[in-house]
This record gives sequence, C-alpha cells and structure tokens, in this order.
Amino acid sequence: MSVLASVEELRVDFHSRKGVVRAVDGVSFEIRDQEILGLVGETGCGKTVTARSFLRLLPTPPAEYAGGRVLFRMDGEMVDLLRVPEDQMRAIRGDRIAMIFQDPGKALNPAMPIARQVGEVFLQHRAAELLAEAGLELDSVDPVGRAVLRRALAQRSRVPERVALRLPPLRGRWRRLQVALDERVARALEETRIPNPRKTMASYPHELSGGMKQRVMIAQALACDPDLLIADEPTTALDVTIQARILELIRELQDRRRTAVLYITHDLSLVRRLCDRVTVMYAGRVAESGAAEDIFARPLHPYTRGLLGAIPARAGRGRRLTAIEGSVGHALHAGDACRFHARCPHAGPICAERAPELAVRDVREHAAACFLHDDRVALDPAGRPAAEVGG
Amino acid sequence: MSSEVLASRALKKHFPIKEGVLQRVAGHVRALDGVDLAVRRGETLGLVGESGCGKSTFARCVAGLMEPTAGGVYYDGRNIATLKGAAFREYRRNTQMVFQDVFASLNPRQLVKDIVGRPLKIHDEASGAELLDRVVELLQGVGLGREHLYRYPHQFSGGQRQRISIARAIALQPEMVVLDEPTSALDVSVQAQILNLLQDLQERQGLTYLFITHDLGVVRHMADRVAVMHLGEVVELGATDEVFAGPKHPYTEALLTARPELAEELGSEPAPLTEGRTPDPAQPPEGCRLHTRCPVATPACGWEVDDVLWWLEHALPEAPVGVVARHSPFHAELGFPDEGAAAAAVAALEREGQPLRPALERPRLSGVRVDVRLRETDPAALEDAGGGHLTRCIHHAPAQRRRGALGAPDAG
Repeated sequence: MSVLASVEELRVDFHSRKGVVRAVDGVSFEIRDQEILGLVGETGCGKTVTARSFLRLLPTPPAEYAGGRVLFRMDGEMVDLLRVPEDQMRAIRGDRIAMIFQDPGKALNPAMPIARQVGEVFLQHRAAELLAEAGLELDSVDPVGRAVLRRALAQRSRVPERVALRLPPLRGRWRRLQVALDERVARALEETRIPNPRKTMASYPHELSGGMKQRVMIAQALACDPDLLIADEPTTALDVTIQARILELIRELQDRRRTAVLYITHDLSLVRRLCDRVTVMYAGRVAESGAAEDIFARPLHPYTRGLLGAIPARAGRGRRLTAIEGSVGHALHAGDACRFHARCPHAGPICAERAPELAVRDVREHAAACFLHDDRVALDPAGRPAAEVGG
Repeated sequence: MSSEVLASRALKKHFPIKEGVLQRVAGHVRALDGVDLAVRRGETLGLVGESGCGKSTFARCVAGLMEPTAGGVYYDGRNIATLKGAAFREYRRNTQMVFQDVFASLNPRQLVKDIVGRPLKIHDEASGAELLDRVVELLQGVGLGREHLYRYPHQFSGGQRQRISIARAIALQPEMVVLDEPTSALDVSVQAQILNLLQDLQERQGLTYLFITHDLGVVRHMADRVAVMHLGEVVELGATDEVFAGPKHPYTEALLTARPELAEELGSEPAPLTEGRTPDPAQPPEGCRLHTRCPVATPACGWEVDDVLWWLEHALPEAPVGVVARHSPFHAELGFPDEGAAAAAVAALEREGQPLRPALERPRLSGVRVDVRLRETDPAALEDAGGGHLTRCIHHAPAQRRRGALGAPDAG
C-alpha cells in the first residue's frame, strides 16, 4: 500500500507571554491508503495540534509551524500542506481532507439549518457537478446570468444578484439548482443512516440529539469523498450507549469508501477495535508506533505499557492498576533528556542525558523511542539503560 | 448500627419545567422516580448509567445537598429530613462528597490549607497549629505534602485537584464518601492513580463508597455491587461479578457495547440500543421505560399511543397525523387529513410495525379518524431474577410472570 500522507519532523510552537511552548517536537509518521491509523496520547501530548496541522487550522499566531513537513498526495504528487497557498488549502479542506471534531454541539453552526451546513460543502467543492445535475448546460445561459449563478453557488451573491435570482429568467434555474443540491444533501445524510433525512435537513442543531449531530458532521465530512478523514475523538462527547454505533458507522463507511482515517483518541481500548496501525505520542513526540495487534500484544515503550496497565477493565477487580506515577507536567521543557524519564520505572543514566530516537525494533515495523530496546545501549544490572557501547 | 449506612426508599426528585413570562410550571422532569437503594457498610456500590439518567441527582439527594420531592434518605435507619441539631451534624460529617468537575468544586480564592482544613474547623475538630498538622497529614495521605499548603487550586493539575478534593472529603473520617464521576475528567494514567488512591483509603479507613460513573470499566474495577440506572429508575442491581458475567437487562448490555474488552468476556456480542423514539424524561414511556429503544422488546413491554405516532411518522413521513382525543396513554383517536391517508396508515400498521403490532387492538377506521387502543401495561417492576440479582426486564422476570405476560394471546 502506498503512502497517502506523511508527517516529517513536524514542529509546532505556541508563543505566549511566558515564552515559547513546543507542543509538537519532531513528530513523524505516515498514513497509507485505506488504513485507519490511531493517534493515541493523553491530554496535552500534541495529538490534536498534529491533526490540525494537516488542515492548517491552528491560529497563527500564537501557533507557529517551526519546522518539518506535512506531505499529502494530490494527483499522484506529494505536496507540502504547510506551504501550499491559502486558496489551494481552501480547495483541499473538506474536499480531499475532511475532519470530524470532538464536540458536535460546538462544531455545527447553531443558527443554520442542517441542509445549509451540509449543502455548503457541495457549493464550495462541487458547483460544476451541481450545474450538470440540474440540467443547466452553462452555455445555454447568457453570460451575465451564468456569472450570477456561479457567484450564487459560491455563496458570494450581492443584494442585486439575490433579487435577480428571484426574478423570472434566473428563478427557475436557481430553483432547479436548489433541488439538485437538496437531493445531494439528502443522499449524504442517508448514508450515515439518519432516519428521515428530509426532516433532519430542515432542523437546527439544537433539535437533534448528540448522536444525530455527530452523524450530520460525518455526512458533512464524507460529502465530497475525501482521501483522508481526520477524526478527533469523535465519540468522547457522546453518551455511552451511542458511542459504539458511531464507531461502527465510521468503520463501515471507511470500509465502503476505502477512505484513509487518522483517528485521534486517548482511549486505547477503542484503538484496538478500530485501527490497523497505532502511533503513541507522549509530550510532543512519538513514543511508539506499529501494528495495533503488536502494540497490544508486545508494547515496547514503558509509557505504552503504563497506559495499557492503567485501563481498569483490563486489570482484575480490586487489583491495583499499574499507574504511571507523576504527571506530564513540565516534560515539554525536558531539554535533551528523554521526555518520559522522570516518570519511567526503567529510567537509567543515559535517559537523562539525551533523547532516544524512534527506530524500528523488530521485523514488523514496530518502532519505539526507548533505550531499553536499543542494541547500542548497555543495560546496568537493574536492567536500566546505562551508557552507549563502543561510542 | 445497622449494616446499611445509607438507604433511599421510594426516592423521587422531580424538577419543574417552567414556561412563558409567568414561569408557569408546565411539567416535571422526573430525574428520580422511585429509587430504592441501600449502601452497605464497607462496600463500594457502583451506580452507572448514561448522562441524564439521574445518577448525579441521586448522589446529591443522599449527600443531603438536595431535598427529595417524595420518599426519603435514611441514615442509620432514620430519615435525614427529620434529623436536627447534633444528629444532623453527625449525618453530615459521615457523608462526604467528591465531585466530577475539579475546576468548579474547589474555591479558587482559598489556599489548600483552608480548603482541606475547613471541615475540621466547622466541626471544631482542631485549630491553630494542630489544624495545620492535621491538614499536612491529610495531604500526605493523598500523595501531596507540606509544600502544597500555601497554594491556590489553579496551581495544580486535574489529578492533584482531585486529590485535594478527596483529602477534604476524608478529613472528618466519614463512614461514607459519595464519589460523583471522580475520574471522568482525568486522563487514563491519572485516573489509575486516583482509583488506586481510593482503594488504599478504603482499606486504611474502612470507608464505604457510593461510586457514580458512566464507565463500566471503572465500575467493574471498583465496585462490589452495581446498580444500573435508566431514566430515573434502577433497572438492574446485583453483585459486580454476576452483572458482568450475565447482565440481565438489555440496557446494561447496551452500556457494555462501549467497552469492547468487557463485552468480549460475555461470549456473545451485546446488542446496541435501536434508534427508536427518544424518551422524554418529563413523560417517561409506559411499561418498561426502555421499550422504545430496546433491541429485544416484546408486545408486553408497554407500547403506547406515542409509539404509534412515532412509528407512523417514520413509516409514512408524508402523511401528517394528529391526535384528536387522548383518553389514556394507551387509547387515543388519531386524525388524518383525508380518508385515503387514514386507510393507508391503518394498512401500514396492519402489515408491519413489529413488535408494537400485537399490542395493538385492531385499529378502528371511521372516516378521517382512527381509534387506536393498546394493551394496558403496568410499569415494569424490579424483581429478583435469582440470587439477589434484581432486574426490571420481562425476559428475566420470574417464570410465572413471564409466561403470563408473553404467553397471552395477541390482542390483534
């Protein structure tokens, strides 16, 4: 399978009055065609910042892309998303790369009916197809009328144009366009198994339940058949009885459309069920990555082991959980040391001196950034990485 | 001393829904609708359910932070509403609470020493230097230390704040602590620390916990017994191991769908809820309150007029249907715009509409009106399904009653 997108040595800084915080510090991973990649980590590890970099959704300032590249395959060629011009970025957002956000209640516009919010995606990216579907061969319309319709489709009409759209020569055509648009929106909603899409289209977000809102957002994201779908904790804000259904839906749609998915979550147990490969992040860096089954069967990094041991359902009842002591705290200012060393039960002298590199540790592309699995580093009698052998 | 620290009997809490300029009461949200639940000395009772099921309201009622509408909370066998003076203070000091939102539950203008020392001061336990020593001791008990005394809550991380909250709750060495989603806002690794801490404290001080959460994984880890709540009612209650090995209510199974690793142990895939009518907490469904979304609903589960309306709206979205006269939840006259639509609706109901159809007597068509009457059903009762494992589900009711309800000839 070929690589659809790859993040290379991405660095993102946030400038504040107290100084610069490097939220993402040299993160690299790749997303292949048709796979679901899980990006896992705790609050503040930089997973959302990484994901938003794909669409350049971070406000700059305070954010600053301090280095690295986010490559994405467009028409067989890799383009750097951090450097494409803004108008091309607009064309990519929602069309080639789409995103589902954590809280559907906040991500939908409360003052706009569902039909318009979902329709907007088609107007932005599929205006030409809409014209064809409405049976409006543009050549048959006079040049002025054509311009007015085009601008109306791009949602840029001025007041006199809006009046013109309501008057005879254009009125019928505009109405036909609307019918074609509604048809598309209804189909998009239907695909996310929203019962009675026509009724949903007329409602406002507050009239829908959390699960329905998330379905609308998924319909919106998948409307243009993107190559990459970024899902940022899409089930966290939902009721427990709904979560499984939304997951199932994402999985099913991914299966049918062969879209690649970058799935961001802090819940490792979800990852196991959903993802093909997993990248675990800690304090702005990648700690471990590999096939989902390998990470669950043989976690290499002490942080991943700690995370797995912390899941209550995996431990027996009443048994102590293997909690990771301490907190992320100021790991971001760790300097050259391994960012996890202060909390790590296996930390040795070398861990405080320099940071381990992410390197493949076995045949199945299972990689970890830890000296414990580095052949060039000798372990002391207690099994802790001590010093490099042979310089 | 009885074996029950706290018990609720037929506990109800209804919140008024106010409407219009005059704020007239238009109805009541039934957050708690008859909850009988006892917390035994030394145990951890887990209370689970999704948001809006009434579990936090229950916590606030038993902690004495909210007055119930009806029924009562009993501490050591006495209704707390009747307690006065010293007896009430004793109840208060023995029932402490830890809240979910660690940012809202600590006063941002107070130092940690004041926050944790407050209960000791109020109950005249200590003052001056002794108070400070006690506070340090408490902080050390939850993994903090003397260096944290003179700091404000905003200087702590979420996990540390929850530790402060816990220190405050156990300051007076209470018998029972009500934990209202204490770890929902925390990361997995921090959650593990807090859960370990809670277990240590329970062992050391012999605490009784009422542990409220929506996460079945956490309940499974912490609780000795589990109560599952749905729409203001307890729908299942039993020993943790039994409930997880064989849940006896479809709602519990639906909760398990969100925890695949727990569901795996069941051997069979738990069924998610169907996308039926979303229940209105102001007018909970008749019969079994889950029937509108239940994957294994039967004709005996309490189908009502609202279900017929919902079903018609979905089966025939083009035909507007209205209620002309509602005689009871089970009997109403529906109105259609024309005779054709009425006949089509009746035909559609006749054809499909499972499992609602058998509960429906043959709909009587008269012009544009249709008279629908459904089998009247009593509210589902919490019954023993064997070995003290209680459930409200008809599928697990005692055999005799189950035969009576399910084996009855269809009314249609």
